[in-house]
Amino acid sequence: MIHTEKCIGCGRCQPYCPTAAITYDGLKSRIDQDVCYECSTCLRAAHCPVDAIAESPNVYDYPRALRRYFSDPSATHAATGIQGRGTEESKTNDATRRCGPNQVGVAVEIGRPTLGMSLLDVQKITRAIARAGIHKIEPHNPIHSMIANEATGDLKPEMLGERVLSAIIEIQVERDQLRGILRTLKEVAKEVDSVFCVDAFTVVGPGLSIPEEVLESIRAEGFTWRPNTKVNMGMGRAWE
Amino acid sequence: MTHSLHREGSLESLEREYVLFIYPARGFNYKGSAPKVRRMVELLYQAGPVNMIPTSLRRNMYSGVTPEEILDSITVEGTRVYSVFNDREKLKKALILLKKADEGISVMVSGVTDRVREIAAELGIEPHMVNLSLGIHGRTDRLAPADIREFTTMCGHGVVSPHLVKDMIRRVKAGKISEWDASVLLAEPCTCGIYNPCRSAELLREKAPLYTLDRW
Repeated sequence: MIHTEKCIGCGRCQPYCPTAAITYDGLKSRIDQDVCYECSTCLRAAHCPVDAIAESPNVYDYPRALRRYFSDPSATHAATGIQGRGTEESKTNDATRRCGPNQVGVAVEIGRPTLGMSLLDVQKITRAIARAGIHKIEPHNPIHSMIANEATGDLKPEMLGERVLSAIIEIQVERDQLRGILRTLKEVAKEVDSVFCVDAFTVVGPGLSIPEEVLESIRAEGFTWRPNTKVNMGMGRAWE
Repeated sequence: MTHSLHREGSLESLEREYVLFIYPARGFNYKGSAPKVRRMVELLYQAGPVNMIPTSLRRNMYSGVTPEEILDSITVEGTRVYSVFNDREKLKKALILLKKADEGISVMVSGVTDRVREIAAELGIEPHMVNLSLGIHGRTDRLAPADIREFTTMCGHGVVSPHLVKDMIRRVKAGKISEWDASVLLAEPCTCGIYNPCRSAELLREKAPLYTLDRW
């Protein structure tokens, strides 16, 4: 929020907002609380010359607190105890072996890049995934704690008025299920009023060779993959 | 954070930058990880990252924080480190040092797959897993233009605003700020420390002439 009695109307904070929630209201800057994701970027980086920007008093009230947990990268999520929108997924698989050699991890990066998404739209995706027969969203992911009904993919109803700058739905499927889930995502993309990025992560063969079965499933559903990827270099191990 | 594989830009530009993560795994190697991560960060410094943040101190390299403060902050078990390199040889040096140290903490590299594959082969590293980017879907018509996304996708959480990028292009174009200073300002909202100010400055030099000033 912006303390209007302090604001000098310089407008310096306005371009910092990823969702353009800060605009002039008369001669002063004002944050539209409906649009605000509570990402704290204005508070953290905009360097208000008169310290007029402050944390909203209701930022940790449920369910509005979801905005902060999912949109501020430095906020530790109440459900997972870690910072960030997802879990460790592919990043630590060399130590955890959560995703086996015949499985594929799929992550749906909601609202990215830099658009955000309402939880009503998130529910469209979780419902579509449930209809496709996938009822197990990664339990260590904060989205998991928001599901009211795993069979239908319904989110808790009191959350649906909220919006988040980013969130990640993570699931794990057998290799032969990848085509089906990609088809589902392609279909639900027509229903949402925002964007999402799709990731597929898989154990690789010698020399970073990507399993042909995975690539074939991606091609078959009309997806392509970017030339840049994220690679787990295989240096981790478990000792606990 | 997953988003580093979705960085946008020309292949030539993407080939020059590599994001490197150090990631302890909760329940698997968290305990005792802090001193190991600290040693790994000391090694990263020797290779010359252009940006870096540990989760124990969410301030990037251009925020006035010293390397000693960054290292001394790594006392919490499970501290993760995000860094970015601007040069293939520097990344290679970092991986040589990390491989030799063999601390057992997971290391990820985001970059052009063919280049990462080459580097791994040169160093005798056998990667374990790849995370493929299958693109953006849905209302892509609502996105910022592609040239602005070359900046904004350097921040995975999306807190580098397209409006701020446009504002910096305007200020560079108007001669009010240098490309480098504008890039340091653009890097500040990114609390993961993987916004690459060197690449950002190159992009500003490239893009600024293509824009017209709507106000001075």
